[in-house]
Amino acid sequence: MNAPNRYELYVLEDGEKPVEITEDTKIPNAATIKIVKQDHTLGNMLRAQLLSMPQILFAGYKVPHPLHPYFIIKIQTDGTVTPQEVLEQACTKLIGTLASLEAKFKREFSFKDVEGAVGGVGSNMAHEDPYGGAGGGAWSGGRDYLDF
Amino acid sequence: MQGHDDQEPTVHIRELKKDSVNFVLKNVDLAFANSVRRVMMADIPTVAIDMVEIEINTSVLPDEFIAHRLGMVPLGSSNCDEAIRNTRDCTCLAGCDSCSIMLLLDVQCNDHSTMDVTSHHLDVVPPGTPGTWSQEGDSEAGEELSKRGEGFGRPVGKDDGSPPILICKIRKGQHLKLKCVAKKGIAKEHAKWSPCSAVSFEYDPYNKLRHTTHWFESDERGEWPLGPNAQEEEPPRDGEPFDFNAQPRTFYFDVETDGSLGPQEVVMKGLAELQTKLANLILGLKSQPELDMLTSADPHSNGHATTDTWGGDGGGGAAGWGPAAGGGGGWGASSPARGGASTGGWGSASPANSGGGSSWGGGGAASSQGWGSPNQQANGWNV
Repeated sequence: MNAPNRYELYVLEDGEKPVEITEDTKIPNAATIKIVKQDHTLGNMLRAQLLSMPQILFAGYKVPHPLHPYFIIKIQTDGTVTPQEVLEQACTKLIGTLASLEAKFKREFSFKDVEGAVGGVGSNMAHEDPYGGAGGGAWSGGRDYLDF
Repeated sequence: MQGHDDQEPTVHIRELKKDSVNFVLKNVDLAFANSVRRVMMADIPTVAIDMVEIEINTSVLPDEFIAHRLGMVPLGSSNCDEAIRNTRDCTCLAGCDSCSIMLLLDVQCNDHSTMDVTSHHLDVVPPGTPGTWSQEGDSEAGEELSKRGEGFGRPVGKDDGSPPILICKIRKGQHLKLKCVAKKGIAKEHAKWSPCSAVSFEYDPYNKLRHTTHWFESDERGEWPLGPNAQEEEPPRDGEPFDFNAQPRTFYFDVETDGSLGPQEVVMKGLAELQTKLANLILGLKSQPELDMLTSADPHSNGHATTDTWGGDGGGGAAGWGPAAGGGGGWGASSPARGGASTGGWGSASPANSGGGSSWGGGGAASSQGWGSPNQQANGWNV
């Protein structure tokens, strides 16, 4: 009755902001970015990509509570770019990687299609009873208490 | 982790079958490969039975039991992105041909032997059949129906003679009659929407990186036999020093689908979904200052004439009119779209909602139940 809709785990509400940036007051060139309605899938990938970039001094993410559908990512840069810009660069780079991977997958799949590797599965066992002969349980014929 | 960036990722498909694909992914991070795995398992939309209305059940299984089993039946979901809407985005009130699929099951046993009720007994009601949905004609028909393939919404395996999924066994005189409504969703909400039945993911078959510890009694190699993926990599030499800087760069995947989508579609949709997530994040980062100004200059999308009271304060962050408010949802309380757009109607208790008589729930139009249950199930089980 009172449960929130399950899709609130991954759909932004009306007017909800997908990201929220808080600049760090004590550490230079650092920011904490809250990304709403996303989880480890995006967080860990971004963290790894950020760490591979030379401008980054620190990058880390956490999902503060498993029931709260957001994660926060802390970024500190060396000062040549802002954390926000470097996160954007990381996203662009990841999209590039994914796009090239997508093209390679497409090529590989098209080769496999030509080879005709897609075969039927389970066609040989279609006539067997998959539940181990349920039909064998016929009752001893004759009268049944249901036959009134 | 640095120094690998110049290398492009590569992929090699080792085997492609009707419902599974086995491939090797190289030159990517562990985090990247894991995200690919996660997105294929949890973020790809499919259709599955979401509501069951049981009319007659004289079988030995209780209603809930059967409803849950029905939910797990994989239904053909090819081209799910275009072929069906999410009910929460649909203009209808509780369900229509654009956002739901009706399936019927009516089986009675008249023989002297046990009868299997299986997924093959589920029949799809063809879209457009009059009387399928309780409130007809209140929804805008889209082009979703034309994008549907032949097997869309049908229980997997019904057309190719593969063995069916057992739902229940009934004996003479027992009867099972019910109505199911299948909807679109993703596995983050409920695992029944996952297109994958199993995804195997392996790296470092020799455990060179020591990401795991092999417990053994006397002989580690004898007690931990190598898997087939070990042939792809060089075995470690005896006495090789541990390279603590090494990172995993090769990943062995085996994606097995439940038949609702083909393996190719799962992989390609997964990659596309990841890109969408990243693109939305970029959009969110970019739109911090600009978009608020854009929305305040653009009053047509929200039914208010005086938008300046809302969106005026630049980057302040109070503005409730994000880009998502565009599609006729928003706060325009008296419009019929409000009741339809939200199956739950959580936030609609605000005083802005002047439509309908009930002050809670789905804006009055959705349910006569007063307190508006979050899901618009009439009597059915929310599986």
